[in-house]
Amino acid sequence: MASSSSYTSPCAACKFLRRKCMPGCIFAPYFPPEEPQKFANVHKIFGASNVTKLLNELLPHQREDAVSSLAYEAEARVRDPVYGCVGAITFLQRQVERLQKELDSANSDLIRYACNDIQSSLPAPPGVNLVHPTVPTRQRHEGEIFYQTPSSFQFPYSPLPWNESPSGGGGNI
Amino acid sequence: MTLKGGTSQACAACKYQRRRCSSECPLAPYFPPDKPKMFQNAHKLFGVSNILKILKQLNTVQKMEAMRSIIYQANIRDKFPVHGCCWVIAQVQYQIQQAEEELYVVLAQVAFFQQQQQQQQQETDNNHNANDSASQLQALSLFHQEAPVNAAAAALPIASSYPNVAAAYSSGYPDHKDNLVNSFWVQQHPYVNGNNNSSSNNNNNNISMAMQSQMVSSPQLIIQQEQAQEYYEMHPFFDMIDDRQSYIDSKEAYDSSSDSSLKDTTQSVKHVADNELKSAAACFSLTSVN
Repeated sequence: MASSSSYTSPCAACKFLRRKCMPGCIFAPYFPPEEPQKFANVHKIFGASNVTKLLNELLPHQREDAVSSLAYEAEARVRDPVYGCVGAITFLQRQVERLQKELDSANSDLIRYACNDIQSSLPAPPGVNLVHPTVPTRQRHEGEIFYQTPSSFQFPYSPLPWNESPSGGGGNI
Repeated sequence: MTLKGGTSQACAACKYQRRRCSSECPLAPYFPPDKPKMFQNAHKLFGVSNILKILKQLNTVQKMEAMRSIIYQANIRDKFPVHGCCWVIAQVQYQIQQAEEELYVVLAQVAFFQQQQQQQQQETDNNHNANDSASQLQALSLFHQEAPVNAAAAALPIASSYPNVAAAYSSGYPDHKDNLVNSFWVQQHPYVNGNNNSSSNNNNNNISMAMQSQMVSSPQLIIQQEQAQEYYEMHPFFDMIDDRQSYIDSKEAYDSSSDSSLKDTTQSVKHVADNELKSAAACFSLTSVN
């Protein structure tokens, strides 16, 4: 067997698929042979062909982030076959709601203290209307609670990240 | 593909795959025919076989929940091809961070107001006590001629100190509160304008300004508050002493009031304040004897 001058170890994907790792292998930059479990999870959940199609639709500089997110979602789905990474989203959204309630309560206390302080220290002359500080309004959309986000992205769902319809509707589709 | 003669339409999965949708189609409950895009997204990300593999290991209830999460995940991946659900997670984490920061700021402001309220309460109580003692002392001065004059003269430093204390409070507080009020109103504008990005910075600056204003005016208030508290602390001690004995002690204090220290005079004033009627009667008897 002739030995090549430069030998590159096959990537984790080609190792798993038991195929020759060609120089232009799309998986090679993102699935190093030192991380076999990463590709195993991705292949188990999404499939190698689907991942190939996804990566081919993206620009080269976007593929690394895409693979990272796919690997994360695949591992989450392996750990939790029912909810996957959506369980984490639900948990975090509930945290947001809890913080929002605490914030509303704290703001109401603050306004009460401030109004009492103003009324006791500054006797208002007749005819002058004191402008009461207003609670910062939160945008509410169909029962959701969300802050101003850098992008125009809005969560399409209620506190549960999917609709409650029995047919398992996917929201804005 | 619509079944010939069938009343039910093929599900979106079977329509996409162009095959017959049987009554036992596993994907039919989750992909209604009027939402083809939903299945396309799920098929693009997971694939039919992978979806069926996931559903195979779950029971009926879990299947429904799993399909919901799969459909959601696929839709998010369609919206955000690069990051998918990780983008949503990052957004929610950012919201949590913002909410926590804002909550921290608001709670700090609430704590500040609570502390201020407590201070006001203490000062109000001290002022009431001081005013009551001064008024009672003035009332007693009508019955006392010589000794009362001395007592009143000896008590003047105390009585006069209270106007000073009151003046200090009145002079200190408006400045103190003006700073707080101004800082508070400044804080409110970022909230009203909805400029949350800079509100945290503004709030921090305004809170620091309010704190600094409090620090500047607090030493003066603290000194006079200590004087008032010193006066106030002596009051409950003498309540425990017998009235007659306390009068005698106070009488001696009147006689030597010019040489007495501020504390002794304070004690005498407090006794007189507590035993107003008895002292008045005793004085009449004493003056008659003398």
